[in-house]
Amino acid sequence: MCEGIVVESIKTEITGIGWVTAAGMGRARTHRDFAMPLERMPEFRPEDVFKEPFPNLRRMDDYSRLGVTATALALADAGLDTWTCKRNIGIVGTTVYGCLGADVDYYNTVIPNRGAQASPALFSYTSANSYLGEAAIRFGLTGTNYMVFEQHPTGLAGLHAALGHIARQDDDKILGGVCEAGCPRIFGQPDNVPPGAVFFMLEPVGSNPLPGFGILESLSMNKLLFNGSPVDNLVMLVEQCLSVMRR
Amino acid sequence: MVHTLLQMDTFHSENQQPRQAVVTDAVLVTALGGDIDTLWRRLMQKGTAIGPISRFPVDQEHYTAGIAAIIDDLKPSRDHSLIKSLLDRLMVQMGPVPSDATLITATLKAGIDNLEAVCRGNPSGFQDIPLSSLAEHISPQIGLKSNGLCISASCASSTIAVAQGAALIESGQAEAVLVCCAEIVSEYAFAGFSSLKALAPAPCQPFDRGRRGLSLGEGAAALLLMPAARAGREGRDRLGTICGWGITNDAAHITAPAKGGHGLAQAIDKALKSAEKKPEEITAICAHGTGTIYNDRMELDAFKHILGPRKRPIFSVKGAIGHTLGAAGGIEIILGLKALATLTIPPTIGFTHPEKGAEGQVSAETQAIANGCLLTTNSGFGGVNAAIILGP
Repeated sequence: MCEGIVVESIKTEITGIGWVTAAGMGRARTHRDFAMPLERMPEFRPEDVFKEPFPNLRRMDDYSRLGVTATALALADAGLDTWTCKRNIGIVGTTVYGCLGADVDYYNTVIPNRGAQASPALFSYTSANSYLGEAAIRFGLTGTNYMVFEQHPTGLAGLHAALGHIARQDDDKILGGVCEAGCPRIFGQPDNVPPGAVFFMLEPVGSNPLPGFGILESLSMNKLLFNGSPVDNLVMLVEQCLSVMRR
Repeated sequence: MVHTLLQMDTFHSENQQPRQAVVTDAVLVTALGGDIDTLWRRLMQKGTAIGPISRFPVDQEHYTAGIAAIIDDLKPSRDHSLIKSLLDRLMVQMGPVPSDATLITATLKAGIDNLEAVCRGNPSGFQDIPLSSLAEHISPQIGLKSNGLCISASCASSTIAVAQGAALIESGQAEAVLVCCAEIVSEYAFAGFSSLKALAPAPCQPFDRGRRGLSLGEGAAALLLMPAARAGREGRDRLGTICGWGITNDAAHITAPAKGGHGLAQAIDKALKSAEKKPEEITAICAHGTGTIYNDRMELDAFKHILGPRKRPIFSVKGAIGHTLGAAGGIEIILGLKALATLTIPPTIGFTHPEKGAEGQVSAETQAIANGCLLTTNSGFGGVNAAIILGP
């Protein structure tokens, strides 16, 4: 924080949460338990979330399928999954490894025959933000959208950034969260980042008719509070929100 | 770092908000010039760095092109990292960075050549493959306390990084921000754009009727931002102002721009509102101008839709330095500041026969521009659009 100026805290209301983790998928208004274990991601069925046909789902890499499904669940949790006109809603995600799995799969189509068989379909998902575009198309979201890469997996960098966009009124509402598909085994790196995607719907306080989970507040680039209590990581934030719902 | 960009007697500090972000230092590396002055001079001389690729095999039977703008003498570092070598070449030009600066890096693919090596079973390191590795390399070199953020949003990555840097300064969450971006030409990206039939067989021709696609390029840029008041207090050079910005998604297609440019138009509209500027205050545009049929058409439509029918000078540097993907925005913002400082925009290399709507705006010659603000735009995969308005 800067010397000589008063930085006002930024406050938003959490109005929806959606997740897909190794422990299952769900959303905060219908599920009471959440975990994000450091385990291999089991097969999950995004088709259970998308009731209408979504042909692109089949083309997506695992990372994109995770991200799109979790954003869909968060929007549904906030009552924002149906739309007629495109909306100024943004998405900012956090990741450590991004789409490395898609990178490897795609490049393995380049190697044989010196590029002649490079897959344009796989290449389309080798930008870490491609899945944000898929979510934007599916749900008519025209707001701010990008990915923030973290070295250490707190999952909070995207939430911090998202809060800033609400404070500046760049977006009417914004999804902030994390999306991790892990590091492909070919790199021989330790499994230290739990796979899964979790997204929070953030809105100006009182703007959603549904009861919110509580107030998320940013005091500085490195300090988040939920209902006045410090938040150290994203899992902790989900648990704090669920405890509000259990009361 | 002292260069001619700094000679800005047009800077009007009396109209500046004290927390508005100003750029106090800027450096870059491209295939056409390893520093700002060299690049600017060669742009004005209508140079291009786009030429045959020797870095990796380019089989004409398999690829739709065989050219890119590659830095001739760029070699991997001792630990096999091309992007680290590029960053070292960049940072050696940078003046002192305050130790309280927040670092924001931007890239689309970082050390993607090492991912290629791993997939081929060749010796390589993993350390420059994650996108956050740029910050890990830069931060200790310049004595910063934290590694900050890395932003990735395809070809708008560094535009968004500069916007976020300016937002942190305006909000008081940072007292200085260093934005660094870098991208290398790789077989990985080359094969991908070739598979999408997006590569031009000859050097790209932005806004030309006969354009046939993009040409890849590599480069890096760094910009130091701080509040106008601090820059004044510390007697820093002021290269220009980040007046406003807008970021949007087309919500239309993940690899093709939206027809009509509504998403980019919305980003420009947001940028104008954020900067509290009117369309008539935009006196020039540094366009994304990739040379693909759909991008350039979309941009012309978006500019007309939001800025009105009045013609204004537009340029693209992609025919000279290629499309540097995640580094494009950072490099183009620096060139936009240089244009404002000299009241001149460079020729658009490769432009000969105007696309409809480009007449009287894009030129193969140097163009003079009026005092005012310059709009710079980038769009990319995932439907992302970013616009920044630069002021003196």
